Amino acid sequence: MSDPTTDDTTDPAEPSLVLEDVRKVYRMGDSDVVALDHATLEVAGDEIVALVGPSGSGKTTLCSIAGGILSPTEGRVVVGGEEISDYSPKQLTTFRQDKVGFVFQAVNLVPFLTARENLLVVDELGRRRGAPARQRADQLLEELGLSARAKNLPGQLSGGERQRVAIGRALMNDPALVLFDEPTSALDTKLGEAVMELIQTEMKSRGIAAIVVTHDERMVHYADRVAHILDGRLRA
Amino acid sequence: MFLALREMRRTKARFGLVVAAVALLVFLIFIQLTLQNGLLTAFVGAIRNQSAPVLVYSVDGRRNLQGSVITPPLEAAITAVPEVGRAGRIGEGTFTATVDGDLADVALVGYEAEGLGSPTALTAGRFPERDGEVVANEADADLGLGLGDTVALEPGGLELTVVGQAEDINLQVTPTLFTTYDTYVAAVRSVNPDARDPLPNAIALTPAEGVTPDQLSAAVNAADPEADALPRAAAADETPGVAQVRQSFQVIFLLYALVVPLVTGLFFLIITFQKANALTLLRAVGAPARRLVAALLVQVVIVMAAGIALGTALYAPLSVQRVGSIPLRFETRAVVVWTVVLMLLGVLSSLFSARRVLRIDPVEATTGAGVQV
Ligand SMILES: Nc1ncnc2c1ncn2[C@@H]1O[C@H](COP(=O)(O)OP(=O)(O)OP(=O)(O)O)[C@@H](O)[C@H]1O
Ligand SMILES: [Mg+2]
Repeated sequence: MSDPTTDDTTDPAEPSLVLEDVRKVYRMGDSDVVALDHATLEVAGDEIVALVGPSGSGKTTLCSIAGGILSPTEGRVVVGGEEISDYSPKQLTTFRQDKVGFVFQAVNLVPFLTARENLLVVDELGRRRGAPARQRADQLLEELGLSARAKNLPGQLSGGERQRVAIGRALMNDPALVLFDEPTSALDTKLGEAVMELIQTEMKSRGIAAIVVTHDERMVHYADRVAHILDGRLRA
Repeated sequence: MFLALREMRRTKARFGLVVAAVALLVFLIFIQLTLQNGLLTAFVGAIRNQSAPVLVYSVDGRRNLQGSVITPPLEAAITAVPEVGRAGRIGEGTFTATVDGDLADVALVGYEAEGLGSPTALTAGRFPERDGEVVANEADADLGLGLGDTVALEPGGLELTVVGQAEDINLQVTPTLFTTYDTYVAAVRSVNPDARDPLPNAIALTPAEGVTPDQLSAAVNAADPEADALPRAAAADETPGVAQVRQSFQVIFLLYALVVPLVTGLFFLIITFQKANALTLLRAVGAPARRLVAALLVQVVIVMAAGIALGTALYAPLSVQRVGSIPLRFETRAVVVWTVVLMLLGVLSSLFSARRVLRIDPVEATTGAGVQV
């Protein structure tokens, strides 16, 4: 599907994410916690990768590093052709604004903004585009089946609807890579599968790459590939 | 703006409450400022708004017109000072008078010449030309001291007719009449025919050419240890009681200057904590911290401006009333000054919240420690 508001020039052949020997060590007092240990991962331009692993294995840490929220202790991170390993916090802020989409494990919506405004805020707080952004928000809400709920506050939406708004928010900036951290954990199986299906359709139709973190093995068939993680180590 | 205004629109009640709180405080500040100024004007307006640049009391008088007595030798010493331009006597006394059929206290101020203790400016009528003519305080017109009204001093029944009006010329919160020195002497005699001519209470001076009021005061004070010369504004400010009134009000204003930023500062700190999750989320999806701080400041300015506007709107109708015999007035200058001060205090008070916003680490959005929205 072509989107009139994007200037998407990412070549699908170019990997959307390259992690090379990435280490993340948390300093906890005297002891070090190795959250990510020499992780190497490449995600193709339009690939959906499921990241599966037990609690505390480093899934969120990996997403945070790939999304420029966290800087790696060691290693190289390239997203959409942009190397961000040595970015300053300011550069990372701009990078997050432009290049990645997030659906977080817990808080995803601003409670005092309507569904539509939760999408628009991405544009408002970045480089304002105005009308094209409003068009894009309306189009996304429609695709996500939320047109009728556009004026509702998050508190007036069901869990599944909130998750769909979060997906719309993550797609607002036309990212090179979207990171979904357990997007279905708060939903029952049926709703979870619906959301996964939606993620799959949205990503594939736009040719956007995604990492979908999940505990749930039943969800992995929506992905092109599964990466397993245990104690910070990746097994493809 | 987007974020700031949307939030205010969605949480009208809480922002409404803080605006109401600011408005109430602003209202109280303005009313008390007006009361203070009204009180001081009723107290020493006659001194502020008389025409002599320098007043000389006797030291024993403790800068109180009624308590000061100028003896002939002192008067001679004062008028002999070379820096003196012109000099004139001022006499002051409180009398009982029949005003509009009732007995009331009035103060009478007698001056020898215009420019030497007469009211600085008239708002209506003319200066006294004949015996028995007086200028009254404009605001006392409805007490029976309007243009053309006549009052009789008791006992004796000496009649005084109001021929002119001036603004803010009362003394000691008593309706005050300015008149010629001769009429003043006649008044003292009319109530007490056995009395000798009264001694003047003060000497009004203008400086000689090239001399400032300050220099003249210093020269007079140096000439005679009994003389206590003060430039006009100082004479008003140093009247016993004025400083005490000012001080008491200053304590009150200082308290307000602490309470207002405390209220706004705490309010914004609380809402910043309450929406920490949303702010963290916005940082995580690429909102620069300064944009979030800007949204905070926009809200602060809106809250302060709305509070001040509402407070002023409440204050405006009350500011033109009277409290007892003290007429109040809309204090434009005070409103402007306090608006600026409160704006600054409001913004300063929100700096704690701003610091909190700047310290948000976007990584907190990923941990899921927050409340599910
Ligand atoms: N800020 C931090 N400081 C110290 N240790 C941390 C921090 N964040 C994560 N860790 C540790 O790093 C490891 C990986 O954490 P991470 O959140 O990435 O796991 P996860 O796979 O997302 O777990 P879950 O499935 O429970 O969300 C854990 O041992 C965790 O305790
Ligand atoms: Mg996690």
